[in-house]
Amino acid sequence: MAMNRRDFLKVGAGASGSLMLSLSLPGCAGLPTGYEEETGEWRPDAWLEITRDDRIYFTLARVEMGQGTYTGLTTLIAEELDVAPEAIEPRFAPVADEYKNPLYKLQLTGGSTSLATSWEPLRTAGASAREMLIRAAAGVWRVDAAKCSASEGRVIHPNGIDSMRYGQLVELASKEILRGDVALKPAAEWKYIGKQNRRLDARAKSTGTAVYGIDVSLPDMVYAVITRSPRYGGKVQSFNGEEVRAMTGVLEVMEIDRGVAIVADKYWRARKAQDALKVQWDFSGALGLSTPEVFETYRKAADEDAGETERSEGDTESVLANADKVIEVEYSQPYLAHATLEPMNATAWYRKDHMEIWAPTQAPDLGRIAVARVTDLAPDEVTINTTFLGGGFGRRLTQDYIEEAAAVAFRMDRPVKVIWSREEDTRHDLYRPAMLHRMRAGLNNGELSGWDHQIVGPQILNWYVRNAGPAQFPWTPKFLYDTLGKVGVWAEGIATPKDISAIEGAIDYPYQVANIDIRHTHIDPGVPITWWRSVGYSHNGFAVETFMDELAHEAGQDPYRFRRRLLENEPRHREVLDRAARLGGWDTPVPEGRARGIALIRSFGTFVAQVVEAGVENGSIRVYKVAAAVDCGQVVNPAIVVDQIEGGILFGLTAALYGEITLEQGEVQQSNFHDYPLMRQYERPEVEVEIVDSTETPTGVGEPGVPPVIPALGNALFALTGKRQRTLPLKADA
Amino acid sequence: MALRLTVNGETHSLDIEADTPLLWVLRDELGLPGTKFGCGAGLCGACTVHLNGEPVRSCSTPVEMAENGEVTTIEGLGSGDRLHALQQAWIDHGVPQCGYCQSGQIMSAAHLLATNPSPGRDEIVAAMTGNLCRCGTYSRIVAAVESVVAGEKPAQEEA
Repeated sequence: MAMNRRDFLKVGAGASGSLMLSLSLPGCAGLPTGYEEETGEWRPDAWLEITRDDRIYFTLARVEMGQGTYTGLTTLIAEELDVAPEAIEPRFAPVADEYKNPLYKLQLTGGSTSLATSWEPLRTAGASAREMLIRAAAGVWRVDAAKCSASEGRVIHPNGIDSMRYGQLVELASKEILRGDVALKPAAEWKYIGKQNRRLDARAKSTGTAVYGIDVSLPDMVYAVITRSPRYGGKVQSFNGEEVRAMTGVLEVMEIDRGVAIVADKYWRARKAQDALKVQWDFSGALGLSTPEVFETYRKAADEDAGETERSEGDTESVLANADKVIEVEYSQPYLAHATLEPMNATAWYRKDHMEIWAPTQAPDLGRIAVARVTDLAPDEVTINTTFLGGGFGRRLTQDYIEEAAAVAFRMDRPVKVIWSREEDTRHDLYRPAMLHRMRAGLNNGELSGWDHQIVGPQILNWYVRNAGPAQFPWTPKFLYDTLGKVGVWAEGIATPKDISAIEGAIDYPYQVANIDIRHTHIDPGVPITWWRSVGYSHNGFAVETFMDELAHEAGQDPYRFRRRLLENEPRHREVLDRAARLGGWDTPVPEGRARGIALIRSFGTFVAQVVEAGVENGSIRVYKVAAAVDCGQVVNPAIVVDQIEGGILFGLTAALYGEITLEQGEVQQSNFHDYPLMRQYERPEVEVEIVDSTETPTGVGEPGVPPVIPALGNALFALTGKRQRTLPLKADA
Repeated sequence: MALRLTVNGETHSLDIEADTPLLWVLRDELGLPGTKFGCGAGLCGACTVHLNGEPVRSCSTPVEMAENGEVTTIEGLGSGDRLHALQQAWIDHGVPQCGYCQSGQIMSAAHLLATNPSPGRDEIVAAMTGNLCRCGTYSRIVAAVESVVAGEKPAQEEA
């Protein structure tokens, strides 16, 4: 995101005469900044706090769920503040306007946006604080500030000998006034950016001391488990509450919006009581369909509605009518669960007009709305404490688990922790939507002449806006929440960002073809959905890159070179494609019984190409090698880039090989890791990642590793067997 | 009923139902939340601890099976303030991403090295296959274990 530093640094004298440096993001409420005499703390802005005794705290507004913000964003501020990243103590941010993600105007972590949106603001914050510290020291020494420097938490005198600790300078620094732009370090002077490799959270996560949501412990805390309708949308009709209430340790059995909650003094007692709970459900308004009907519904919709045109160039229809050869195929993908290893959980404590929540959440400001919905509290009477997240992948953007904990705790006089079982986590997820793609392309003399892609399926905004709408306007009276949600859907693309979750990866088709139509037929069968690591790219990427492979074979061309010739005006795409082909040994002989496939997808601004080498062993697909080339602009932490791409590849392979949530009369059929398996250590392919050197603005790496590996594996299997698989998961015996 | 078990060298007497999984006793009764709940069915390995020197899935081990036994959790793996060599290797190799599975991963690796100080790659992979990692840190896990096997010095001493 391009944002002029001048735009967001607002400098002025505060009421107490201390320096106020704050963000001028829209609707800025203004966290307290300045110097506090009593505590000796200086907060130059919403992110930094430096104390008299040299402690440096950094408020981390993008949650840490494995993707590395804890290290990466701290590195940005450390670089300009001239301290080692290890010398900074990150703290998870409370809900405040200053911490909103400027792309969404919500305080959420998602879309692989954390680094890109923090790149300028955090470095500027670090540089501004450093500059004020230098000026304060220069004032003491009566020397020219421009001749002073900073290093390792000290300001260095021009004589190169004397120095002062930051802690000694905080009070004076708070009185400095900055005008205009603060100069950021040139890349040649970076000590940590592009070099920092150690993860700042590795120690806590290797000693069992990192606190995840599920680890929160409060005095007098009790535990709740919730029985939810096996079919989405079912309502509680009756339940044997009295019987269950009599069981050991059970304190309360209560109906809440989402089902029946059992509160007990111990978690295991609540679980055992749950076995005895019998709920009669009213399924009259509940989901009743089975997976085959989902796709029937999609096909019918696709036949009846050509869809909204999302991109149109040339005259695709007439070009296809006159092509030598028209290839027409259909792809489909199933619903997918997130399967974060830490199941959903939240702890809530209601005390007199105030609710405090501890939870692993990707969107704490939406969490406040979720609490407000089920209590008589206003959002500003809710405090959300974010913890480490045991995986997110988009699942924790939805706040249903916080809503449940709040609903129960509101009726208890002590803290309540709600923990989902793995089975509940799998069955009551909001899924990556099942999708259908109808593709047509024309070939003239082996040249691609026209491309038509009809995407069929729901879009996520309609599910998300329920709490996202009110979260943007938290002062709105609660009876307007649902209206705000609806307005959010209507205003999509005007007042709110356009939801491209269904079409991303399709509308940005990069290959040079004169005639292109991309259409979206919107159809929502009512199965709960949300963002899932790499979102639309996860399904459109499979459709587009598999179809490109099919066309290359139809045209009698090498799939790598077929793509490459159509990327003459896309140098960054071509570069990663070439590198992946080289790294994956595309032109070298493949071992007996194996074959290679290639795919290229730019997602979330980052370019990734992959070559997969795979075979079939003892009736199972075996992935031997994945070579990936990545261009994510300027790299902040090379090890984290490699880890995220490799992790994304394994996440994608899990989907390609196993991922499938199915419904039978509205009930999810999968439950735990035996029927919703994740890739294990012994199946891990050898992964090689090559990063393109770049000085472009950094882009995210949390998601872009996922999409290419799915079609690349499918393409490898086609090369091996000659059979094209157009639906997922892939089969060894297709 | 009162039940005795020793966890990380400390003996406890607990009044708790015998069928309570060891996991919840460790986490909620003894305040040792480093051992994680992942699946409740012994499928993911996040809850791995050592019982009398053997790795067990504490989510599906009734506490009565640990009666009079010695349990070691991630909190008790090192000695005092000194980390276990695997923990240091995990830090040096930057293994954890979300980190949720890593206590269980380390406990499985620690058992492997306790019984086989110089396992080959295949033995490491086989021993670690019961531990799921959703973030995909598998290659760093193997590298970290191999570094300990090779007796590599920690990259940097940790306080």
